[in-house]
Amino acid sequence: MWSYFANPERFDRLAAAMLPWTWGLTVLLFAIGLPWALVFSPADYQQSETVRIMYVHVPAAWLAMAAYAGLGVSSFVYFIWRHNLADLAARALAPAGAVFAFLCLVTGALWGRPMWGAWWVWDARLTSMLVLFLLYLGYMALRGAIEDEKLRARAGSILAMAGLINLPIIKFSVDWWNTLHQPASVIRFDGPTIHASKLWPLSIMALAFTVLLTALVLTTMRTMIVERRLERLERQRESRLEAEAAL
Amino acid sequence: MSAMALFAREVRLAWAGGGGPAGPAAFNLAALALAPLAIGPDAETLAAAGPGIITFAALLATLQPAERIFGEDVADGTLELYALSGVGLAIASLMKALAFTLAVFWPLPALAFLGGLAYGLEPVSALVLSAGLLLAAPGLALVAAFAGALAAGLKRAGLLIALIAAPLQVPLLVFAAGAGRAAMDGTPTVLPNLMMAAAFTLAALVLAPLGAAAALRARLE
Repeated sequence: MWSYFANPERFDRLAAAMLPWTWGLTVLLFAIGLPWALVFSPADYQQSETVRIMYVHVPAAWLAMAAYAGLGVSSFVYFIWRHNLADLAARALAPAGAVFAFLCLVTGALWGRPMWGAWWVWDARLTSMLVLFLLYLGYMALRGAIEDEKLRARAGSILAMAGLINLPIIKFSVDWWNTLHQPASVIRFDGPTIHASKLWPLSIMALAFTVLLTALVLTTMRTMIVERRLERLERQRESRLEAEAAL
Repeated sequence: MSAMALFAREVRLAWAGGGGPAGPAAFNLAALALAPLAIGPDAETLAAAGPGIITFAALLATLQPAERIFGEDVADGTLELYALSGVGLAIASLMKALAFTLAVFWPLPALAFLGGLAYGLEPVSALVLSAGLLLAAPGLALVAAFAGALAAGLKRAGLLIALIAAPLQVPLLVFAAGAGRAAMDGTPTVLPNLMMAAAFTLAALVLAPLGAAAALRARLE
């Protein structure tokens, strides 16, 4: 199956067909989710209106983690099978995930001010998100520093896999170190503890963020394929001009 | 070349080349000396911050010479010889990281003990902190070596190594400093913290050389 979709031409056609739908769905979901979450959903009896920050903060946190998982998996696929598309996916996922992590940190600070009385609290989950953000930065810095295209992809994939292995350990160590964040209330073994009036807009926002990430990654990957094709054509043109000049 | 011969060679090189253990030790000492000047002379604050600052300074000290672990081998062709030597790049990476720990990072636990006393910790607490760093030092070196293998031969590799390795070293920072703090506060989590630091080091002992070898092999292709 990998090999079937690893063909850039086939991927490009598939992505081109999918993209209008993906972007359309993104707009639709945000058009429903944003007003529902930010205006029509009930205010919290404890946190009043500030609870609305959750509808951006929590999906951003999920997507930042999901994007890193995706980064690790596509790095693994690239490392084992050497499919270039997997590397393109990793390259596209990193900045998107970093932005989601950053968004999560900023909204966390904005939410922390009214809830905990401070812009930044060294709470376990916020701190893990900060470390995740640093992992993204390290990954992008390493890729940016290597000039050779093959080596860049290989080194990046190794670092992303190491990060994915270490991430649960970092998470555990930071939890061990301190915890004051409210415990997870949606993904639990005994079902969500969050009320349905909030769970619905939250789910739609999470879905909207997920589709947005998909659209962003697909668009970036297509751009990179076109970029690569352009480079190849330019090289061909140069060598042809050189050959003509030699005559 | 056998693994032991490689280890002995790397210990000699790490000891003699580039200032050996003096660089990280001096860096560590400078960090420990500067922190109180920034924090203020209040004895209680210093003791409370002590284990954290000392562990943090040790972590920074392991990043300082990390560029040397693989940088020169990539530059002068030793890497190719190691790859052809029959020892295998993973074992070679392991031996290099351990040689570096032994030859270059040995002052760090000792400085942690002295630093602990200087920051006003009880001798027992300072000893626990020192033991925490003793268990964490090989792990810190292995992670730094992994990052060093990824960044070997690049421009501004030092900065890159710090950015890559620091987040991966977070658990060791937490557990080593945690052991010192637990000893100071009298909470019964000294042993669990030490064991977690040892566990991370053991895991790094297996995984980091494989990662470093993969990074080096990518460079040779």
